[in-house]
Amino acid sequence: MKKVKIMMGSMWFAMSTLSLIAQDATTILKKVDDVLFSSKDMSARHKIILIDKSGKQEVREAVLLQKGTEKRLFRFTAPASQAGIAILSLPGDMMYLYMPAFGKERRIATSAKNQNFAGTDFSYDDMESKPYSSKYTPKLVNTNNDTYTLELVPVGSSEYSKVVVQVNKNTYCPSFSEFYDKGGNKVKEARYVFKKIGNYWNASEIEMRDLKKNHKTIMQVSDVKYDTGLSDEEFTVRKLKE
Amino acid sequence: MKRIVVFLFFIAGSLWMAAYARQGDDSSEQNGETPLRISGTLLTDERLLFKKDNLWAWNENRLSLQLDKKITGNSKFYSEIWLRNIGLPSLAVSNDLFNKGIIDPYNLEIRQAYVQINGFLSENLDLSIGRQRIAWGTADKFNPTDNLNPLDLEDILDFGRRRGADAFNVNYYLNNDFSLQGVFIPFFQPANMPIGIFSNVLTPAMELPQGMVLKSYTGNLLMPAYNLRESAVAGGKLKGVVQGVDFSLSYVWGRDGLPLITRNTFVPVDTLGGVQINSQLSFARTHIIGADMATSIAGVGVWAEAAAFIPQKDVIMTNDLSAMFPLSPVPVTKDSTLLEKSRPYVKFIVGGDYHFQDGSYLNMQYLHGFIHERGSKNLNDYFFVRYEKKFFNDKLNIAPVGGGFMITDWNKIKDNYAFAYMPEISYQATENAEISLAAVIFDGKGEGLFSALKELDMFMFKLKYHF
Repeated sequence: MKKVKIMMGSMWFAMSTLSLIAQDATTILKKVDDVLFSSKDMSARHKIILIDKSGKQEVREAVLLQKGTEKRLFRFTAPASQAGIAILSLPGDMMYLYMPAFGKERRIATSAKNQNFAGTDFSYDDMESKPYSSKYTPKLVNTNNDTYTLELVPVGSSEYSKVVVQVNKNTYCPSFSEFYDKGGNKVKEARYVFKKIGNYWNASEIEMRDLKKNHKTIMQVSDVKYDTGLSDEEFTVRKLKE
Repeated sequence: MKRIVVFLFFIAGSLWMAAYARQGDDSSEQNGETPLRISGTLLTDERLLFKKDNLWAWNENRLSLQLDKKITGNSKFYSEIWLRNIGLPSLAVSNDLFNKGIIDPYNLEIRQAYVQINGFLSENLDLSIGRQRIAWGTADKFNPTDNLNPLDLEDILDFGRRRGADAFNVNYYLNNDFSLQGVFIPFFQPANMPIGIFSNVLTPAMELPQGMVLKSYTGNLLMPAYNLRESAVAGGKLKGVVQGVDFSLSYVWGRDGLPLITRNTFVPVDTLGGVQINSQLSFARTHIIGADMATSIAGVGVWAEAAAFIPQKDVIMTNDLSAMFPLSPVPVTKDSTLLEKSRPYVKFIVGGDYHFQDGSYLNMQYLHGFIHERGSKNLNDYFFVRYEKKFFNDKLNIAPVGGGFMITDWNKIKDNYAFAYMPEISYQATENAEISLAAVIFDGKGEGLFSALKELDMFMFKLKYHF
């Protein structure tokens, strides 16, 4: 009888501990979301540097407007071959492409998200501003003095089988991510540099490296403004064509 | 004279709009004014026939300049100009050596030049006046509802190209999802026809009675009078989004940009059956009712577009053979109806596309009624497909499958089909320079556009530089 009681007590303790760890992964991820996605709106300039395996660089520049997690207007300003091209993302997976040469907007199929964004090493999935907790189920796989390491498994369809993210314990900002394909192979790595602007942490630089192609993209974000009261009218086809 | 008056009216209107946009604020920087920005492209387009002793099929060097300037925070000026060296020298006599325009053919086109004010009189109203491209339709390249701008058929392989129209264009936004558009174009401009080796492609062969031989031909255009009733073009469109589906309904009252022959006068020129034909061509007044939609279903982009063409009155072609029968007491004529007011014809297109995870892209469309086809009996069926894949971070794009297949008679497909196969490779040599190599192969049987191009298989080289 005593043995049974000890066993049951041990089982209860183990389950409680496991339960606490599971909560921690979810709690940690929720805190990451609170840090990254809590602003009402944002505008910024992007400098995108594409570096191939020989070190040759190409630079693109763009401006971004974002409201919440589902409205986003991304407009290239350089180089000349891309200047004026704009992409509008709206709720319900609606996306529009505007190319000045055609003089009208074009509705894009959602399958466009299957591909990399504008020749960079970021996929449309990577570029989305949706909270991690809506896209992934987390598991805490490691803790040390400075970071938590979470293993994120996609909830819906995704090009990745899992994403492993290192999160800074103090700021709850991601510092490093590893992306694994459906075969379980690591295909991409990302490094993040965060800076605090006002009440929000902003990824001032993200370096995404494609391990298969030996190619990397550095996205530098500047001139960031949060909560300026962007109206819904800024995220319309009318504005897309301006 | 009237065209000059209308042109001056446009200039005055544009200047007034520019002044309206600037009123109330002397500080240009606070006003949102930006410096004049000049950008553009340099295009070299060279084509060589595979047959006919490798005849040079196309030579074009085009400098396209875009000028734009924000006059204030909510208004802008935009212009697009083409400066081109196009065609090959066509010298015939020694005097031509003194004419640089013949030795080195060139032209200048103002493709667009307009002023746009957003929030004109009301924050939901946008107005633009001037020469502009007003592109309607959701399909790719072939848009049956896109009828406000005159067709630019100079290069038959550049499907869907149109010239700017001198227009008043008003857009009123009911809310973020719905808008109304009204367009008024004071005077009609016809399409310009294919040039060079393509010049006869859209001209149907004239069928003459047995025994007649065509010796000469003249075609006289009956241009509409430059007044509101005869020349004006007007259009309206309701556009919206419902349940994730973009749609629009449109109406255009205009003229068919391609003329129809309304009278042929046959005049005998010899005793061996030789005839001279004097034709009269006119541009039919037409009502066009259009609808289109676009959405994404399970990741597949889907679109459809249709336009019903309703002639304002019956279009009848009269063949006048009176000169062949000088002793006849009455005129000898034969009429045939080309278009009937009571029988509109409908052109439509449906298509879809998909982006694959490996970087490839597939686009397919079915079109009923090509750009130049009129009358329900003359509308053929076309199937277009393009598959392309990008490599090396989008620097290299290979399209091994591209082109179209047409059927002119479903009852006898074996003898009435044609295809155009157009594979292409393009390479982004630098971030602003793109080189593309393509081939175009035509083949088929029976009548139709692609069959008419059978002898014109060609190799194409293009270099495009953006600045």
